[in-house]
Amino acid sequence: MSSGKLNIDGVMLFEQPFARVPYENYRKVFRASQRNIERELGNIQTSSGDLLKRWKTHEGNSEDTVKSLDGMIGRVENLKRKLAELQDTAGRPTLDVTRERLHHLAAIEALQSANGPDFSRWADTRLDRWLVDWALRSGREKTARKLAQEKDIETLVDIELFTDIHRIEDALSRHSCTEALVWCSENKTALRKIKSTLEFELRLQEYIELARARKTQDAIAYSKKHLVSWQDTHLKQILQASMLLAILPSTNCGQYRRLYDTSRWSSLIQAFRLAIYNLNTLPTEPLLNLALYSGLASLKLPSCYDSAKNVDCPVCDPSIRSLANEVPFSHHANSTIVCRLSGKIMDEDNMPMVFPNGNVYSREALEEMAAKNNGKVTCPRSGDTCEFSALKKVFIS
Amino acid sequence: MEGPLKELAKLEKLTEKSNKGKAPSIENSLDALLQSLREVKERIEMGTASEDTFALLAQTVDARKKEVDEKQKEVYNAIARLGKALDKKFTQSLPSYDPLFASEASRVALERTIALHFLRTGQFATAETFINECGMDISPELRAQFIDLHRILTALKNEDISPALEWSRKNRAFLRSRSSPLEFHLHRSQYIRLLLSSPNPHPALSYANATLRIFYPEHSAEIKRLMTCVIFLPLHKLQKSPYADLAAPSLHSDLQPLFAKEYCASLGMSRQVPLRVVGDIGGGGALARIEKARSVMKERKSEWSQTDELPIEIPLAAENRYHSIFACPVSKEQSTEQNPPMMMTCGHVITKDSLLKLSKANGRVKCPYCPVESSQASALVVYF
Repeated sequence: MSSGKLNIDGVMLFEQPFARVPYENYRKVFRASQRNIERELGNIQTSSGDLLKRWKTHEGNSEDTVKSLDGMIGRVENLKRKLAELQDTAGRPTLDVTRERLHHLAAIEALQSANGPDFSRWADTRLDRWLVDWALRSGREKTARKLAQEKDIETLVDIELFTDIHRIEDALSRHSCTEALVWCSENKTALRKIKSTLEFELRLQEYIELARARKTQDAIAYSKKHLVSWQDTHLKQILQASMLLAILPSTNCGQYRRLYDTSRWSSLIQAFRLAIYNLNTLPTEPLLNLALYSGLASLKLPSCYDSAKNVDCPVCDPSIRSLANEVPFSHHANSTIVCRLSGKIMDEDNMPMVFPNGNVYSREALEEMAAKNNGKVTCPRSGDTCEFSALKKVFIS
Repeated sequence: MEGPLKELAKLEKLTEKSNKGKAPSIENSLDALLQSLREVKERIEMGTASEDTFALLAQTVDARKKEVDEKQKEVYNAIARLGKALDKKFTQSLPSYDPLFASEASRVALERTIALHFLRTGQFATAETFINECGMDISPELRAQFIDLHRILTALKNEDISPALEWSRKNRAFLRSRSSPLEFHLHRSQYIRLLLSSPNPHPALSYANATLRIFYPEHSAEIKRLMTCVIFLPLHKLQKSPYADLAAPSLHSDLQPLFAKEYCASLGMSRQVPLRVVGDIGGGGALARIEKARSVMKERKSEWSQTDELPIEIPLAAENRYHSIFACPVSKEQSTEQNPPMMMTCGHVITKDSLLKLSKANGRVKCPYCPVESSQASALVVYF
């Protein structure tokens, strides 16, 4: 990085979700098409079997047969239409987004240096992407949409995913599990793979709500239908939940009060968010925050907090400095002396020179000043003026 | 990104209507199925249907379903291969951190930083939306200043220096205190433009006469060059002369960043957009390095010795070195205001603590880097 060479691995660390989210979206589209096919073709298989059976037993008249054939034709046409629609409205656009994003990443892979205008443009877009991600996660949806639209990066950000997340979270905060349960069933296999217990927790919550409303019969039925299948892993919780039927919501008994506690809903929101982030390889923190954390920790120095502030240093900016309070200081084993006149780093070729008052600047900058002022140099910090020849060389080892 | 792109292309080919892949496209299979169904219907209507007709239909349905399933399987496998290619490309997931910048003070600071970022980069519509959505308080004066900045920059882009000049004249004292060449460079750009725009140098020379005089004390050498370059006109000669630098387009295009830098400095702001700078460092390898250090330390089962300092050094580009860092060559500690760097008479610098430790009872110090011995009292505190 110090040589301006691009650290591709470091850049790519941030980009896994960028590539992964459209991929997961496409898998979702594929599952939807698969469901349609299974349902419709399975149905037609049964119908054609029935027709054969009825013909053999001479049950049906030709009118009925024609009717059921019409039904089958209708089904196939319907399936054909649905699949075409799915491909046009979801399948192809999702693959287009995937391709666009992969090309976007390929463009940065092809760059060698972090100094050119190409990188600068790419990094501008990246920051915009991060800002959209941050705004979506922080509930600043209008800003996210506006920014994406103004910068024409709508295919490079995941506004729909977060709209979906917000829709389901809103439902949970209104104490409705329906939407979240639909999402769970859509992502059943993936959730099983990551051993998520979100579905059980949601089912348990619905059961608790029935118990709270004292609909004990319904609660038992619900438990039989939805909780029992989890007995291998969650037997203890199921047993505990069964006890709720005998215990009123006003109970003072700790473990049951915790089950009735409405704060369970906020933990459900957390659990849901964790699961959906996990499936899309999204980090729990906004990408912007991760970049800021590591960027600030690379820059932060004690000098940013004392009198040696530099207006060009990002950490010395008052707002950013208050963010930097949360991150560690950077680590330095060697000296780096920066000239306050030219901003250049001093070394053997551009030696530090000291005024009699102790202020140090680079030789190049002082020589330039002396050339303009008949050999005289002025210290900008103190206003002291002296001959260039009165300066002394400083040796930093 | 070649691997994933290749797999993606294969997947795209499979799912488009063309008959790529082993199985026929689903559309074709369904069309064939439709045709069979319609044929059976016709037969019934004509009264020529037999048991075989239905047995055949059942077989056809099975066969077509099998075709569709096979096609779906092909697509499924292509999707899985794309997933594998992505896994191969992105081997490391982003780390999970406890909520960052979650305190109220940090939240406000971050929102303000972002709002200023939008304003500063000239995204006024987005800034407006954001400021309203957050209910943030950004003073109208500050906003007006950014709008002004962009007005002036746009004018500069369109080769109109007058708004920039007007601002520079108003802020002449500030620019002088920074020994900024902005105003001089604006006039220089205008002068060169006049000079190159017509074969008659007089308008340019009278412009120089009227405007450049006051800059003579600081820029005498440069002004002499500006006057002399006239003898190498027109442009194609100038480009091959010792004054070729004056013919370069950067003489004009550099005005924009220079102006933005001075304007921002007058508002107490940095020359680069701070969010971009920090983000580029974080997203350009710093996070990867920090995570690597973390995992190495975890393997060794050791913790960071100082929780408030990174365990490793993150390399920074020269332009991102904003402060001098003095690490004492004797103690390896960084200097502080209490423990400042001190230069001995030989010119070598060590921190005050080290100097005191090396001093003998008589107050003499032998430099650890050269043979010179000097008195401790003659060491000078240096300020970088």
